[in-house]
Amino acid sequence: MSVTHVEQGTRPTGSGPGRLLVAVYGVLALAATARGIYQVATKLSDAPVAYLLSLFAGIVYVVATFALATDRRRVAWPAVLVEMVGVLTVGTLSVVDLGEFPDETVWSGFGAGYGYVPLVLPFLGVWWLWRTGRPSAEPAVPTDGGADDEAHEPPSTLG
Amino acid sequence: MVLPLALLVVALCVVLAGWAGWFVARDRAVVLRQLWGGAVVEAVLVVQAFVAGVVALTGDHDVDPALFWGYVVTQLVVLPIAAAWAFAERTRWSSVVLLVAALTVGFLEYRLLQIWGVV
Repeated sequence: MSVTHVEQGTRPTGSGPGRLLVAVYGVLALAATARGIYQVATKLSDAPVAYLLSLFAGIVYVVATFALATDRRRVAWPAVLVEMVGVLTVGTLSVVDLGEFPDETVWSGFGAGYGYVPLVLPFLGVWWLWRTGRPSAEPAVPTDGGADDEAHEPPSTLG
Repeated sequence: MVLPLALLVVALCVVLAGWAGWFVARDRAVVLRQLWGGAVVEAVLVVQAFVAGVVALTGDHDVDPALFWGYVVTQLVVLPIAAAWAFAERTRWSSVVLLVAALTVGFLEYRLLQIWGVV
């Protein structure tokens, strides 16, 4: 675990709501990387550009997942931005010119094959990095005033 | 792939997701009993992988092995990761992650059935 958030007054990217982001990134990283490896290994000559792009997208998701989980902002920012550019560029190209990118990558059709999660995720990532990156006096997970105290588990134990 | 086993997996995932979703709504972190529930799902997944392996070796199914086993292995790692998270994150967000994990395993089961040619 990095301690940069202590030095810079920022909050960790991998805890609280960040867990959800890391979890969804992780699922997408698995899906895209496994698909990319499978495509490159079995049928690279069919559509080399699309399949290598598939693998590249998967690797970027792996990097983003790892960086967000371990609070490495300097790695997370470019990874998330590459995804944003990637899904917008490939999404547009796949809609305009079907020949260049057959419907084979995670970014094709703006991520339609993955429920548009690849389109939404980089924007959430940028927002989360921006939000946690500002020095703030408020805690990372705001408490909600204790209106429903009986529903709260003691936060430190499992069971 | 055995259809009753697959349906059992999907049903258990829906129950686990509902349980986690209820905890999200109540602003609670994952409790140990939910992890036992996850362990039951995982046990059924292991049995299913074993059965699928036997069927794949003995029968003559026209299934791409790399694709099929890729999904099987992926499906097996999702819940353990969510469980590890439940220990690290003692807020409602561990419940959100368990919810996502259960839905993911259920969806992967659907994809496995597609790859096997059942649905």
